[in-house]
Amino acid sequence: MKRIILMAAVILMVAATLYLWFSNSGFANGEGLYLGIIVLVLVFAVFLLVRRIKSWKAGEPQEDELTKKVMVRTAALSYYISLYLWVFLLYMQDRVTFDKDRLIGIGIVGMAIIFALSWVFNHFRGVSND
Amino acid sequence: MTNRIKEFRVKLGMTQEELAKKVNVRRETIVFLEKNKYNPSLRLAFDLAKTLEISVEDLFSFDDEK
Repeated sequence: MKRIILMAAVILMVAATLYLWFSNSGFANGEGLYLGIIVLVLVFAVFLLVRRIKSWKAGEPQEDELTKKVMVRTAALSYYISLYLWVFLLYMQDRVTFDKDRLIGIGIVGMAIIFALSWVFNHFRGVSND
Repeated sequence: MTNRIKEFRVKLGMTQEELAKKVNVRRETIVFLEKNKYNPSLRLAFDLAKTLEISVEDLFSFDDEK
């Protein structure tokens, strides 16, 4: 239950920050894309939250050995791919004029997307041959 | 590694959900186990065997994968 509350609080905080950000400054050029990506990551987080709530209601454990293994593999895979993302961003930094803030923003959002995709990959593929 | 969880579960007239609750895992984990997409820990393997009233050797079979 604690984890569900914690997760819901994080989702609400991100959603509130997003709302404040875009309601105060409006859309600048290209920011619609950022908004879309962050909303996608939020939708993914809500999906995970709903799964946890369903498990909690059904009396199932929210985490078991398979979900833990999927998480460990997801963390390892997303870390590995994220390294390449940062190398690519640093390479691009010398060739395209980026604000430092924008570069870090792209990196963080990119890491979130990579994590979500890695989770989907590991979750549907299963964890065999361990 | 392959298993006969589904076969023995059906024999006992148990649903995936009931089996999951008895061995304290999510239903999803039972689905993955039955599809041979996940090899359980030793503890879970013994819990499954005990719940399905058979031996671990009868429940799981190991073919050397090269």
